Formats: sequence, C-alpha cells, structure tokens
Amino acid sequence: MMSRKVRKYFSFTAFVLPAFLFYFSLSLLPTMQGLFYSFTNWHFMNPKYGFVGLQNFINIFTKDRYFVMALKNTFKLVAALVILQPLIALLLALMIEACAKWLQKIFRTVIFVPYMISTIVGTFMWSFVFRQVFTQIGSSIPLLGFLNQSWLSNVDLAFWSIIIVSLWHGTPLLMVIFLAGLAGVPVQLKEAAVIDGAKPSQVFWHIKLPLIFYSLTICMFLTIKDAFKSYEIVYALTGGGPGWATQVMTLNIFEEAFSGNYMFGYASAKAVVFLLIVLVFTVAQLLLMKRREVEL
Amino acid sequence: MTRRITPLYVLNILLLTLLALIFLFPILIGFLNSFKSFQEIFLSTLSLPKSWSLDNYITVFQRIKLLRSTGNTAIVSALAIAGIVLFGAMAGYKLSRTRTKYSTVIFLLFISSMLVPFHAIMIPLYQMASKLQLKGHLPGLSVLYIGLGVSLSIFMFHGFTKSISREMEEAASIDGSSEFGTFFRIILPLLRPAMGTIIVQMFIWTWNDYLLPVLMLLDMRQFTIVLSVNTLFGEYGNQWNLILPALIMAVIPVIIIYIFFQRYIMQGVLEGAIKG
Repeated sequence: MMSRKVRKYFSFTAFVLPAFLFYFSLSLLPTMQGLFYSFTNWHFMNPKYGFVGLQNFINIFTKDRYFVMALKNTFKLVAALVILQPLIALLLALMIEACAKWLQKIFRTVIFVPYMISTIVGTFMWSFVFRQVFTQIGSSIPLLGFLNQSWLSNVDLAFWSIIIVSLWHGTPLLMVIFLAGLAGVPVQLKEAAVIDGAKPSQVFWHIKLPLIFYSLTICMFLTIKDAFKSYEIVYALTGGGPGWATQVMTLNIFEEAFSGNYMFGYASAKAVVFLLIVLVFTVAQLLLMKRREVEL
Repeated sequence: MTRRITPLYVLNILLLTLLALIFLFPILIGFLNSFKSFQEIFLSTLSLPKSWSLDNYITVFQRIKLLRSTGNTAIVSALAIAGIVLFGAMAGYKLSRTRTKYSTVIFLLFISSMLVPFHAIMIPLYQMASKLQLKGHLPGLSVLYIGLGVSLSIFMFHGFTKSISREMEEAASIDGSSEFGTFFRIILPLLRPAMGTIIVQMFIWTWNDYLLPVLMLLDMRQFTIVLSVNTLFGEYGNQWNLILPALIMAVIPVIIIYIFFQRYIMQGVLEGAIKG
C-alpha cells in the first residue's frame, strides 16, 4: 500500500502532466527560446550560429527603417482603435438597450455576425467592397461621391480602410460585453434617478458609466491586445502597402522570418521587442483601469 | 418599465437598422455578386444578378475541393477542442483542488503565457514543430492548437471548479471510487458550463485561424477552408466571380452553426471575454 502522500503526488502528476507537456513544449519553451535566439545571428539555412550580444536590438532601432516605420504604424493603429472601437461599441450598446426586448435580440444577433467570420475571409469581402463596390457607388450616387477613390492604394485611405475592417470585425464583441454590463445595472437605481429628475445624460454619466466601468476595462484590454496583434486584416487588405505605408510590426516580423529572408535570429529580436511592448501596454492598462472600478 | 413610442425611439430603431445593414453589407453584397459573371460584376455590383445560376459555385466548389477542406478543418478543430477540453479540465480541476505552493506556481506558469501574442513565439514554434514532426499533417496542427490553447482552458476550469462542492468527491471516494473514476463520472459532467464556454472559444479560433495553418500545412490536400480560400485569392486576384462564391461558401458552415447555437455562442464568448 502506497502512502497517502505518494498517492496524492501520483494523482497530481497524472492530472496535470498531459496539459503541462503540451504547454511546456509548445508555449513556454518557444517563448524562452525566442529570447535566446534574439541574441544570435541564426539563419534558417545555417545550422551554426553565434552570439551577437545586443547587436540585433541595436540594428533594429538604428539601421532598420522599415521596422521603425512598422512600429509607428502599429501605434497609430492601436491609438485609433483604442479610441474608436470602445466608443462605437458603447454607442451601439446604448442604442440597442433603448429598444424593446425582442428588437434588442434581433439587433444584437445581426451585428454580432462579423465576429463569427474568419478575419481573413471577412477582409477579402471588404477588399471586394473597397475595390469594386465603393467606386461604383461613388460614381453613380453624387451624394456618396467621396466613396469613389482608390481606397487601398492611397496612403491615408489605406490606413482608414484597415481601421474600418478592424472596427467591423472588433466592435460586435465589445458591444455584447457592454450590453451585458448595462443589463447588470439595477433598474431601481435608474428609476430612482429619473424620479429625482435626472436627465438621460446624467443617468448615463453618474449611474450607468461608473457601474459598467468593469466592461470598459475589458473592452479596452481586448482592443489593445487585438490591435497590437493585427495581422490578417493588414495582410489581406493592403499587404502592408502601398509601399510600406501600412506595414505593422506583426507583418514585419513575419516577413523577416518567412518571406525570403529567414533571418531567424534577427526576427526573434523583433519578436522580443514586440512582446515587451504588448506586455507593457496591456499590463499598464489593466493596472490603471482596475483601480477605478466601482464595486456595487 | 414600459416604453413610450416617441419620434426619438423610432429614429433610434431606424438608425440601428441602418447600422445593422452596414455590418452585414460586405456579406450581403458579396452574396449578391457571387452569382454574377465577371463582366456583370465589372458593369454593376449593385444590381441584382441576371440569373441566380449556381455555375460559379459549382466551378469553385470543385476547384478548391471545398468538401475536402471543410472536412480537414473539422478534423483539426475537433481534435484540438477535444484535447484542450480534456487536458484543460483535468489540470484545471486538479490545480484548483490542490492547495500547495507547488500547485500555485504551476498554475501561474500556465496563465503567464496568456498575454503572449502568437507572433512573439511564432519562430521558435515553427522550429519546434519541425523537430517534433508536427508539420505537414492535420493531427500535428491540432497538437499545436492544444499547446497554445490549453492554458486558457485551465484558467477557466480552475475558476469553475471552485464553485463545485467537495462533498461529492469525498462521498465517491468513501464508496471506493478511484480518483480518475470520480473525475470522469462526477466532476466532468458538473464542469459542463465551463466546457461550453471553452468549446465556443476554441471553435471560433481554430475554425477561422489563418497563421498557424499557413505555417504548418504545406500540401494542398490538407488545406483548411481558410487556406483554400486564401490560395484561390492569391491565384485569381481580381476574378471576383470565382472568389466571392468561395468566400460565401467558406462562411456558410459558421453561419449555420451560429444560427443554431446562437444563445450558447453569445454566452460562451461573453464569459470567455470577461473571465479571460
């Protein structure tokens, strides 16, 4: 008979080990290996590689014009989305909340559809809209004439095209989160405020918003995380173009590693920079906003 | 609260209808044009197609072997979800029930990777997949998904286990049930709500994912739906009469699943987002 302690140890291992093996070899180890490779000059075709110290990181910020450009574009994208996405989602949620229950359900269900669709498939659909449909609408309806432009080959418009598709794909989830948050605001509170003579805007700022601050934290977090990670939309819509005007960090890392260059060591250094940036921003956002949440 | 029908209320509904149409616009316009010939699309994207002929669909269906790629996607998703749910439930449950320093450290190790974006580990993962011979076949792709997705699953099951009372396990153990027996017969059924959330999340991810398959699958015969469509787009850049039917067919399975499981999907996505 095994002792109790040994048996416990056995069963713990039996339950946790399978997951740990998968996780260790395919998530944890690669993360550490990435850190390791970032200090080497490893090339995919060359099995031998040496340490180059911080040289990769120095090159990234001094010699690599394209990466710095991609960095700026990524921040531009994150900034635009972090402002627009939660805002639009919140407006949609408030508008839907004002409807009768059965209408709420219809609107919520319909607007959520883009979230279900593969990002890349949805982006191809938008590609059709930008390249064929918008130009035709613009040229046949004078009021919408502004649509008749070469959306994907103009530097500024290409950026906004990416924003439009990102919003299309990203707002539905945030809207649902806000709707759930709004549904959790007690009816008595709203009614009491209305009886006390509060205007709808006052009800929003002083009652609803503080109570759904938790939802806002989640939405900001998701927006920041996904905006940094954007890859498919940029790749499928503009490919980073025109030129390198809309290239983002993820695209730059991918190209450095897999499209012809195969500079695995150097690309790993870029991946490390990317990881650190994402971690700093997501953690900072969570810490900042968590402090302001109101408990009911 | 009863609502009065005011002009503002009607305006709100009209505006929402317009917005809902904008959200559906790319899909609707894609659907409309998927029946047209190349010339017809070029002339007008806004008119109804002259005939609702399925010729485009049949051509594309055969060209990208859609049945096969749908089957491939289903295999990858199913294997990945099964692994993620099973291993995640086992580990999440056990870590939640074991109150030692050891167990806490392992749990934190698992969830520490949840903020790491895919691009940050893509290169070493690619290398690792070659070494472990996970590249170039469907089960290998599923294994990779398990490695990447299991920590979220552990996190969810870990949280959910706390709401299950320990008395059941104790009673079962007094009755002589083995620990594995207790887990599979008693605990696993109780974890069903968390399971639903995980399945929804992992289905949307694995079914729609592009980057991992494009790195790991090399042979056309193994392509998932998303990869097949991507290849078609690469080959026939501007031939929308071929691309649009492919895009529409690619979203049909998801839309059908969405319609049938709408309530569960909404709930699953919501819980995943809020707890994750």
